[in-house]
Amino acid sequence: MSIDRRNFLSQTATGIGGIAAMNLLNAGATGAPSFRPKAKRVIQLFMNGGASQMDLFDYKPRLAELDGKKFDPGEGQHVEASASVPGNVMKSPFSFAQHGQCGRWMSDQLPHLSKHVDEMAFLMAMTSKSNVHGPAAYLQTSGFFLPGFPSAGSWISYALGSLSENVPAFVALPDDRGLPYNGRSAFTSGFLPANHEGTVVHADKPRPITHLEPPETAKHITRESRAEGLSLLNDFNATHAAQRPGDSRLNARIESYQLAARLQLAAPELLDLSRESAVTKNKYGLDHPDTENFGRRCLLARRMIERGVRFVQVWSGYGGARNNWDNHASIPKELPPITRGMDQPTAALLTDLKQRGLLEDTLLVWTTEFGRMPFSQNNVGRDHNGGTFVNWFAGAGIRKGAAFGQSDEWSWKAVKDATNTYDFHATILHLLGLDHEQLSVRHGGIDRRLTDVHGHILHDILS
Amino acid sequence: MSRFVGILILCLVASVSASEHWSLRPLQRPPVPESDATNPIDAFVRAKLKSEGLKPSPPADHSTLIRRLCYNLIGLSPGELTRHNYSDLVEHLLASPRYGEHWARHWLDVANYADTHGNDHDFARPNAWPYRDWVVQAFNNDKPYTRFIQEQVAGDVLFPDDPQAVVALGFLAAGPWDETLMVGINKDSVDHRIAQNLDRDEYVATVMGAFQGLTVQCARCHDHKFDPVTQKEYYQLQAVFSGIDRIDRTYDQDPTLHRKRRSLEARLKAVKNRDPKVVASMNLESSRRVADRLKKQQIERAKLWHPLKIISITSAKGAKTKFGRQADGSWLVTGEVPHQDTYILTAQVAAQDVQALRFEGLPDKSMPGGGPGRYHPSGNFHFTEFQAAAHPSTGPTSGAEPIKFVRATVSHGDGPNQSGPHAIDGNTGTHWSVHPHYGKQHNAVFELEQPLGHAGGTTLIIRMMFNGHERHLAGRFRLSYCTGNLPVAQRPPLPFALSELLNKPGQTAAELRELALLQMERELQSQLDALPDPQLVYAVHNDFEKDRAFSPANKPRPIHVLIRGEIDKHGELVEPGTLSCVPELAGELEIDNPEIEGNRRAALARWLSHRNNALTWRTIVNRVWHYHFGQGLSPTPNDLGKMGGTPSHPDLLDWLAVWFRDEAKGSLKQLHRLIVTSDTYRQIVAHSPIAADKDPDNRLLWRMNRVRLTGEQMRDSLLQFAGRLDLTMGGPTVYQFRHKEERTFQPSGGQPAFIDYTNFDPDDPANHRRSLYRFIFRTLPDPLMKAMDVPEGEQCMPVRTVSTTSVQAFALLNNPFVIRMSEHIAERVDGISAAFRLILQREPTSSELAKFKEYATKHGLANAVHLLLNSNEFIYVD
Repeated sequence: MSIDRRNFLSQTATGIGGIAAMNLLNAGATGAPSFRPKAKRVIQLFMNGGASQMDLFDYKPRLAELDGKKFDPGEGQHVEASASVPGNVMKSPFSFAQHGQCGRWMSDQLPHLSKHVDEMAFLMAMTSKSNVHGPAAYLQTSGFFLPGFPSAGSWISYALGSLSENVPAFVALPDDRGLPYNGRSAFTSGFLPANHEGTVVHADKPRPITHLEPPETAKHITRESRAEGLSLLNDFNATHAAQRPGDSRLNARIESYQLAARLQLAAPELLDLSRESAVTKNKYGLDHPDTENFGRRCLLARRMIERGVRFVQVWSGYGGARNNWDNHASIPKELPPITRGMDQPTAALLTDLKQRGLLEDTLLVWTTEFGRMPFSQNNVGRDHNGGTFVNWFAGAGIRKGAAFGQSDEWSWKAVKDATNTYDFHATILHLLGLDHEQLSVRHGGIDRRLTDVHGHILHDILS
Repeated sequence: MSRFVGILILCLVASVSASEHWSLRPLQRPPVPESDATNPIDAFVRAKLKSEGLKPSPPADHSTLIRRLCYNLIGLSPGELTRHNYSDLVEHLLASPRYGEHWARHWLDVANYADTHGNDHDFARPNAWPYRDWVVQAFNNDKPYTRFIQEQVAGDVLFPDDPQAVVALGFLAAGPWDETLMVGINKDSVDHRIAQNLDRDEYVATVMGAFQGLTVQCARCHDHKFDPVTQKEYYQLQAVFSGIDRIDRTYDQDPTLHRKRRSLEARLKAVKNRDPKVVASMNLESSRRVADRLKKQQIERAKLWHPLKIISITSAKGAKTKFGRQADGSWLVTGEVPHQDTYILTAQVAAQDVQALRFEGLPDKSMPGGGPGRYHPSGNFHFTEFQAAAHPSTGPTSGAEPIKFVRATVSHGDGPNQSGPHAIDGNTGTHWSVHPHYGKQHNAVFELEQPLGHAGGTTLIIRMMFNGHERHLAGRFRLSYCTGNLPVAQRPPLPFALSELLNKPGQTAAELRELALLQMERELQSQLDALPDPQLVYAVHNDFEKDRAFSPANKPRPIHVLIRGEIDKHGELVEPGTLSCVPELAGELEIDNPEIEGNRRAALARWLSHRNNALTWRTIVNRVWHYHFGQGLSPTPNDLGKMGGTPSHPDLLDWLAVWFRDEAKGSLKQLHRLIVTSDTYRQIVAHSPIAADKDPDNRLLWRMNRVRLTGEQMRDSLLQFAGRLDLTMGGPTVYQFRHKEERTFQPSGGQPAFIDYTNFDPDDPANHRRSLYRFIFRTLPDPLMKAMDVPEGEQCMPVRTVSTTSVQAFALLNNPFVIRMSEHIAERVDGISAAFRLILQREPTSSELAKFKEYATKHGLANAVHLLLNSNEFIYVD
């Protein structure tokens, strides 16, 4: 790439004409990061609702000793919960055991993932500035507390494009049951051009992608009418452009139709799971109602990155009151089913990526917006806790079996090597070969970045 | 004294920086360069071009110009309108109501308007639209710009008699608002306090961006890095808005009614706040008179109520719920406590003019919290629905007719969302709750629409439903009815505090006075209630009913500088104030009584609209220029600071600013007229390699800019071509999507909203309104509009992104609305040539005609029309 990419990326996206070429879906898709990347692509698994760290990963025997007692962290520290009055200390209802060579403690709710701990690197002391779904989810998706900022996938799409000209760069696979908190804003391109918005694929719907095909009621549109029409439109636009030299947007728009045609051709194969073997499907749990929803989308995610999608986001749970990770009412009743739905498919994805050699240059990220409290809500549930929670990485550039950060004895707050979403995003960009301080766009008078004015690369979990 | 010195120093520092930056220099009218141009715009532009060795481009042909002008002024295609004198057309279009609709949309981009709150639940904001209509009318009526500013920042204070000046406050409230953080979580949580800070930040950023072209929000954590705005000044601006919150606000279209309601509301507020003057006016003697009168009424009213003769009483839960009759005629509910229950009573009445039914929820020591509900531990109940049906006692039960209630008044309800009316709203998702007054009697009076009673007696079947939160059931109650003297019966039950004081033996003087004041509140409230229902606009206010963590500020909230912007790191306490960097204006606001919230906004509104505020006039003329040329003289309309774009023609910008202020007297229509009649505006979109080499972005205006249609222009044009455009103006937003529930689109149980754009019938009449009137969902934008870069109200958009994407190609090729409109257009036009004339304002060439004819013969005219709608020639305006 001849131009200085950093300058290119820090240009304003609102000029007239000059910048139109880069607004094309795959423009800039030369995969030209600012330094040699470890990862070419990312799959992010997003646990919507706030997965309970001390019931899954953050083993706290002290909670069993204090179970039922008033929660008192001492030193007059203020204890608050965002939506309830703090209850008594509540031990995890699940048992923990050590796994792998790294000896990582895992809850018995994660029998499949427990076999892979030596592949994973845990951030044991993630923190969030917010204890509330809306802003905390925005912090994880876009790095900002407020709406309107581009999501991480959009930044990556903007910076790197996709790896093939037949697929979009950023795809979001929401839960079959509905969209996450913040609706489609979870995948928004914000002030970046609209093509960097996550392409939403509703995996269980007969028409999974909006506007991919004309409605069935439009009988006059046939394969032939479309093909001949696009050819005529191309000629018509070409004549128009030839009479109006010096405007790159006109040609860019002609190309956008050609690109759309290629995407449309590629989509059916991309989404066609009938091409996967029964063995593969069963591994992902497509044969069982508990695991089918998330499993199907994990399998689709693999097909997508194989075909050049740069960033795939798979959501577990949606923005409703239940069937997600927001277990206010009962950890013993609500956490097991959603965990069961995630555990086997995620393990299958890890194995599959590894077997296909894709894990070498694919980053797998497991995310949630915050953790939960060591004390109870409604007797056996837990309220939100941005003080400490767990995310993990696996794959490209990740130090296997690593763990970074530590929470206090109750998993109430981070006490050592606390990390935040800025560090998390800086590290993802770094692995993709992007400098999080350089990737910026002028908006509203400010050079905006995914990491705002913060962010440290987490070298401790990198290989 | 030290504070005064501090300000002086600041002014000096600021004035040094100010003189360095173009937008902060005093506004002076530069001389118009010598030239033969009649329009000063052309004189400035040509002088600059000449100095750069460039020449302007020739004028565009007539049909190109007409297309440009129509889209630019009214947002619609000229269609088949081709012959028209240009200057006549300018006048015609500026006078068209369509002008205000089109330019309102520009301003709504700046205001960040949408019809939902945004954020995680993204609830609907059903009363946002009156502000949208205000903007349309402001443009159509050519409201002078100073007044335009003043009404939107402090219309309620500066023009108290004008109802529309309340509606204008919708500007301040237009942006997103986090309901969860502001209402739904604990008031002392960090998240709630951060949200309040960011809420004020949004007011400051929007107002200062829109009217001053400054990014003062950059000074939230530290002094502005580039512009002379200190962190303290930023928080002084926050203090201007620290007394308001976003909330539905009442107004009346009729100014007389509007004034009457304001006056009653003001008096009620004074009484509620125990204004010393009001308190002083109530001496012991007059207090006692009030008490005596109330006592007398109480006795009289008691006589009007008669116990209902209950024939049978059962529970939906069968024998598990038991009813025991008490000596006072009430029923005590015992037995198992189910999650939900419905009590079904049959009663007989002999009277023939039953006016109202009364429910008395009675305390009882046997119940948790002393009742009147069965819920453990509080004693609350959730009265979901009170339903009744009646039939002549002489006839069969099957003849029972439902009774319609017109009003439900209660002695106490838990805020506006859990009060009496919720027990008769036919919605089992809402209820009346008596939280937090447990262990007390709670009455509800349900008034009948028609007096009831049959000769030979009437049988009533009453259903009392308790389907709210679990076990919130009534525990002891009594039912009665009243006849006769309607006015007395209609008087609502005495509020708690009042009846307690009234029935207390040997009241003190202070208690009597309190009683009289409570009664005064009650009377004013009933006078207010007797007025016709007001209209609502989503605006800002400091007077509303508390809802969980969301409560009004009786006095403006104290504002501290927040060190590094951190919520708990309080620095200096600040007074309301503004920027010191604007030349010829003080950074201090003159505020008579800053304890009164509105005075703060009024002072800022005056400062913003001051004739000497150079930023105000530069900002608006630059913004208007941006919408005419696709690029402002400074390319960043909301940022004229150091990080913003340097103006290409600073003298022209200043000339226009002064001309607009002094000669056009703030008339936007005059500014439009001056611009669109200039030669500069009427140039062709030429190409010149030499000029493009020197000035690739056409900053010097050696040609006109080609602009892409906005989503709204595209969509409205399609309706226009299809002959389906419904030009009805204003009113509630129209839903151009399928949805499950009318008001919130939220199915019960906190499920995410169900919105479906792509399967919405393109021929639904709602789809035929101009795009301005569609419901804008912040987190669930219309995919067609989104693909065309229409902002969804997440961040203000002074300059829209214009992207060219395959997503857009897909939308225009496959969106059902676009396809259906192609079909309608094909039905309307007579062949290819007519379609060209309608959509592209020209005849096809012979080769185009041949190719399109061949295609249409094979695949139908609708497919051919659809291609034209996808063409660059349609989507771009030369």
